[in-house]
Amino acid sequence: MENEQQQAVNAAVPQDPLSGDNKIQTNAKNAHRPGDLPGQKASPAEQHKKPILEISELTKKYDSFTAVDGVDLTVYEGEIFALLGSSGCGKSTLLRMLAGFESPTSGTITLDGKNIIDQPPYKRTINMMFQSYALFPNMTVRQNIAFGLKQEKLPRNVINERVEKMLKLVHMEDYVDRRPHQLSGGQRQRVALARSLAKEPRLLLLDEPMGALDKKLREQMRLELVDIINSVGVTCLMVTHDQEEAMTMADRIAIMDRGEFVQVGGPREIYENPNCRFSAEFIGSVNLFDCSLISSNQKQSLIHTDDFAKPIELEHDLDLADGMPLSIALRPEKIYISKTPDDNGPSNCCDGIVENIAYLGDISIYYVRLPSGRLVSSTLPNVDRFKTGLPIWDDHVYLSWDPESCIALTI
Amino acid sequence: MMKIKKSTATKSIILTLALIFLYLPIMTLVVYSFNDSKMVTIWTSFSFKWYGVLIEDSAIIKALVTSLTIAVMAAATSVIIGTMAAFVMVRIHSFTGESAFMLFMTAPMVLPEVVTGLALLLLYVTLGDFIPAFADRGIAAIWFAHVTFCSAYATVVIRSRFLELDTSIEEAAKDLGAGPLKVFFAVMLPSLMPAEVAAFLLSFTMSMDDVVITSFIAGPESTTLPMLIFSSIRRGLSPEINALASIIIFVASIGTFIGWLSLVRKQKRIAADVAKANAEAKAEREKILLGSIRS
Amino acid sequence: MPVSSLNASQALIRRKLNLTPRKKRKAEVRNMVRHQNTWRERVLILVPYIWMILFFLMPFLIIFKISLSVTEIAIPPYSPIVTFEDGAMQIILHLENYSFIFTDEDGTYLRSYLKSLEVASFSTVLCLLIGYPIAWALSKCSTVTRNIMFMLLIMPSWTSLVVRVYAWMALLKRDGLINDVLMTIGVIDHPIHMLQTDFAVYVGIVYCYLPYMVLPLFTALLKVDYNLIEAAYDLGCKPVRTFFSVLVPQTKSGIIAGSMLVFIPALGEYLIPELLGGKGSILIGRILWQEFFNNRDWPLASAVAIVMLTILAIPIVIFFKSQRASREKV
Repeated sequence: MENEQQQAVNAAVPQDPLSGDNKIQTNAKNAHRPGDLPGQKASPAEQHKKPILEISELTKKYDSFTAVDGVDLTVYEGEIFALLGSSGCGKSTLLRMLAGFESPTSGTITLDGKNIIDQPPYKRTINMMFQSYALFPNMTVRQNIAFGLKQEKLPRNVINERVEKMLKLVHMEDYVDRRPHQLSGGQRQRVALARSLAKEPRLLLLDEPMGALDKKLREQMRLELVDIINSVGVTCLMVTHDQEEAMTMADRIAIMDRGEFVQVGGPREIYENPNCRFSAEFIGSVNLFDCSLISSNQKQSLIHTDDFAKPIELEHDLDLADGMPLSIALRPEKIYISKTPDDNGPSNCCDGIVENIAYLGDISIYYVRLPSGRLVSSTLPNVDRFKTGLPIWDDHVYLSWDPESCIALTI
Repeated sequence: MMKIKKSTATKSIILTLALIFLYLPIMTLVVYSFNDSKMVTIWTSFSFKWYGVLIEDSAIIKALVTSLTIAVMAAATSVIIGTMAAFVMVRIHSFTGESAFMLFMTAPMVLPEVVTGLALLLLYVTLGDFIPAFADRGIAAIWFAHVTFCSAYATVVIRSRFLELDTSIEEAAKDLGAGPLKVFFAVMLPSLMPAEVAAFLLSFTMSMDDVVITSFIAGPESTTLPMLIFSSIRRGLSPEINALASIIIFVASIGTFIGWLSLVRKQKRIAADVAKANAEAKAEREKILLGSIRS
Repeated sequence: MPVSSLNASQALIRRKLNLTPRKKRKAEVRNMVRHQNTWRERVLILVPYIWMILFFLMPFLIIFKISLSVTEIAIPPYSPIVTFEDGAMQIILHLENYSFIFTDEDGTYLRSYLKSLEVASFSTVLCLLIGYPIAWALSKCSTVTRNIMFMLLIMPSWTSLVVRVYAWMALLKRDGLINDVLMTIGVIDHPIHMLQTDFAVYVGIVYCYLPYMVLPLFTALLKVDYNLIEAAYDLGCKPVRTFFSVLVPQTKSGIIAGSMLVFIPALGEYLIPELLGGKGSILIGRILWQEFFNNRDWPLASAVAIVMLTILAIPIVIFFKSQRASREKV
């Protein structure tokens, strides 16, 4: 439903087929397109890489419940792709369909141009690293890694060679004869990774790769895991509910909700250019305002909201009729906070009273109550250890932002 | 403080009384098996006499062999059927007649032995015309009867272990290219092994102990050990039976103790291994942390 | 609202109200739930299934059939139900056995059913009263003591039932150890008559079935959240009331399971009343045995068995329901 309504809004603009885009598209040159963002990871989609996995119209229904609802996706050779969503959004079901543990109700899964829907899991060239790692408790580290190779009936010296290579890759050479219960969580994860990589799969699936680790270890293992995956060069599809994990590890992310993709794109694109309110609210924190369009021309658009006395001004046009409703999203770190009204001009500013301050160490979050009654959050980095003159409780403060910080979204 | 002491004392008293109640009869029996007198209840002097008599008794030895043969066969069969049934209950969902399957696999546990015994005998009599093994009601007939109730218990034991198995381990094996049979034998069976052993021992004991069902179905040629004891004690106490009972108690206790000890040892070893791995991992992490601080 | 979104919302409404033709939907659901079993799965299902149909279901059908015939001097010793006379098939069902059980002049059968119910209920209560403190004490021990105590409590049940009953015969005898000791310390002048009384039967049943009561109670007590008991004390609830309003409800599943595990086998028990009981302890298991072995009246024995099963149906259903409920809770 969202899609259809949104298509009505920007019917004039050809869409990126990957993202059911809900952002109001712009025609002007200075519009912020994903590719334009400085420092953005090069999206493999735009590169000459060839697709390895293609999913089309994939649907999985249980009795009265649709877990995955007509999903389309293309994953390119060598990229790390993350499915991000809260629990029950269908991301795990999608992953299990790729591995072959669930059979889809309809749709196709194509790997290297071949439809693999009817292949049982043990015939697919896809391997998975399980959330619980699922190491065989009765086998040693070596036997665990060799298990998949033995199923292929490879000669013994080939198996040994490959196992040694894998052990070296994950730095587990000293632990070959241990059993899973004799390993720590991080070591188990590395063995699980080695085991799933040993068969040199075309596609590696990671199910909540950090789910079984404690918080400290997680941050360290994320980068280590990416290093290993990149050094092998395997294409990787991971499932996670942790946005930080998805942002650190993945080249591209798909946000999933209720069995559908909400937005697909690079980490930066998803954060800076969310295409709908769900995306904007799901990743990071955001201030959302209900607005209506006053006027829009080639150079600028003026937007009214009941929350501010002054209008919001964008330096490009919007493909929307005057008077139509829309939402404006503003990230807290993009709102400047000041005790003097010096920065405030005729637009893109407001004022209010500091109601609460959350000091988090690296940043402080200011919760400012506007005259309209609306609470707005704004963050300040704590750069200077002994800085004085910062706003405190009950101070009257002035908030302002750059026109390009505003993201216009359909309701 | 007072309260804690009081509850500890109550606890100890209760457990001591329970142990006295459970062990006094058995101990008395064992003690009197070393009594020289033919009168079971009057102590004269210590002697191994009745154990000697026991070894000479060919009827008892024959019954023992019969019982052992049946128990081993019944236990082995029950474990196989129990494993299959547990697999069906836990891993294969929704098939036609599922609730009837559950009923059949559990009902033999809750039915009175006299009823089961009578029912099986009537079955053997009815089928005897077609299947000779049933007609003479020998070892095979007893074996099948024992499997019927033992496999129900075996199913319960194996099923409870089955429920604890991590499905993702099976999926991992499939994912790495193992077919269904390979998955079962290489990955699931090793994890099920403790339960399989427990189920075997339980079935073995139940088959060794059964009197009522066996009395119904056993033909004149096949007398099991408990049947022999039963018919003997119906006539009254005898020091020879005391000796036999003592041996049975001894074997059962040693068996239970060994089983218990190996279980506890294994748990301890795993706990120690896990503690060691965690300590190592902690040390390793600290080393990395130190290294990163220095550099 | 644009037209296209109107259509979409209509589709949404249709989905919510399930307006797809009912037949088709049912078929879809069935296809999804009942997946095709592979041949391996079928073998796995069929082997135990066929075994149990052959050795469990069939015997009971046969019992039922024979309970509807009358005894005859023949091999096998009962009248056929289906006969062929002049090429016509005749089915004769005799209900005499059942009417005999209920209208027998001596009332032997009815009395023994009632006696069985009485003995089974009373021993269940006894087991519960003795077993609950034991299970509680066990659950309060440290892990090491608990392991050892647990093994000690279980160990006797791995010994043959006949042997355990035999041990009590020696203790309860007229010149047995208990009477000896009591006379030596001078509590009594004459030996008490204990063996072959109802008392002996109760002792035997409690002795043999106590572990079946303790085990489920112990498992239930281990799961008890003791914070709730502290909370009850904190709110001013006295110990006895706390026990009944906090501990008992939390261990309900264990109490039901344990009681049924004692009640069900005690009802049909044969060995214990036969060896320890006297002429008065004629339980239904002994009646069945006598009809079968001594009177060789197979049809009547079958009828006795069928009536016994009917009585047992209620506790068995309670047992399975409580098992399922506790399983679903986990």
